[in-house]
Amino acid sequence: MNEQKPPKVQIIPPRTELKQRAVNFTKGFDVELAPEQLEELEKVVQRSSDSFVRSIGHDLAETRQLVIAAIGNPDLRGTAIEKSADLAYSTKALGGTFDYPLMTQIAKSLEIFLAHRTTASRRQLMVTQLHIDAIYVILASRVTGFGSSIEQATTVALAKLASRYAEPRE
Amino acid sequence: MSAKIDFSKISFLVVDGDKISAQVVFDTLSYLGATDVQRVGKPEEAFRILRTRQIDVIITEWRLRGMDGLEFLDSLRNSTSSPNRFVPVIMLTAHSEQQYVTTARDLGITEFLAKPFNAKALYSRLISVITRPRHFINTSTYFGPDRRRRQTPFDGPDRRESSTRN
Repeated sequence: MNEQKPPKVQIIPPRTELKQRAVNFTKGFDVELAPEQLEELEKVVQRSSDSFVRSIGHDLAETRQLVIAAIGNPDLRGTAIEKSADLAYSTKALGGTFDYPLMTQIAKSLEIFLAHRTTASRRQLMVTQLHIDAIYVILASRVTGFGSSIEQATTVALAKLASRYAEPRE
Repeated sequence: MSAKIDFSKISFLVVDGDKISAQVVFDTLSYLGATDVQRVGKPEEAFRILRTRQIDVIITEWRLRGMDGLEFLDSLRNSTSSPNRFVPVIMLTAHSEQQYVTTARDLGITEFLAKPFNAKALYSRLISVITRPRHFINTSTYFGPDRRRRQTPFDGPDRRESSTRN
C-alpha cells in the first residue's frame, strides 16, 4: 500500500518583540480608536486630495495627448497603451480614497480593457480616449460620490463599449 | 485602562512608486507619531535599506517598476540572502480581486489592504501586525505567517500533528 507521509511542518512561535516595544498603557494611540479619532485620521488622509487632483489632472492631459497622437501614428501605440494602463491603475487606486469612487469605477473599466495589451487598434485607442475624457470630466466638475443617474449610465456605457471592442487583444 | 500603541517605537518602510499614495501613508504614520518612516519607489532600494538597518513593518504596493511587490515579498520570505524573513508586510494595492489576495497570502503576506483605502482600514492593518503577531509556518512549499486565521472546527486529519516545533 502506498502510504502518504504527512508533510513536514515547522511551526515557529510568533515574534513578540515589536508588540512588547510598542504596546503600553500610557503613550500613543488607543488600539481601538474612538469615532472622533478616526475622523481626525481620515482628515490626515484627505490632506493629499489637492495633490491627487493636480497630479491626476496632469497625467490625464499628458496621456490624452499621447493617445490622440497614437491614433494617427502606429509607432506610438505601445507607449500610449503603457501610459494609459499606468494612469488607469493609479486612478483606480486613489480615486475612491479621495471621494471620487466614480473615477475608480471608470478607471477599473479602462484597466480591464487594457490588460495584457502591448498595442491597440485605432478603435481601441478611441475607447481608451473616451475613458480618459470621462475621468477628466469627473475631475474637472469635481463629481464626488457615485454621481447621478447620468454619470452611472455613462459608466455602464463605457464598460459596454470596452467589452465590444476588447478583441483582438495583442 | 485601554492598551495604546506607541508608534514612535516602530520603524516603517513604505515601498510605493506612486508619490501620492506613499505620501498618504507617510502622513498617516506621522500623524500617529511614527518618526522613523522611510519611503522608496523600488524593491531594490528597499533591500538596500533592509540590509543596513532594522525595519519593523513594511508597507508595499504590488505594482512596482522592475521587480514587482510580489517578487519582493517572495525574495523577502524565501531567499537565502533575505535580510529579514520574518518582517511583517502589509500589501497595499489596487489589485484587489480574490485571486490576487490568495496569491499574496500564499507567498507570505501578513496583511492585505485593497486600494482605494481609508484611514480606518489602514489603522486596523497596522494594529493587527503590531498587536497580533502570528506563528510562522515553514514547509517545503510555504514560508510565512500562519494562514489559518480563523479557529473553525475541523474533524479531518491534523497534518501538523507530527510537526516539529521550534
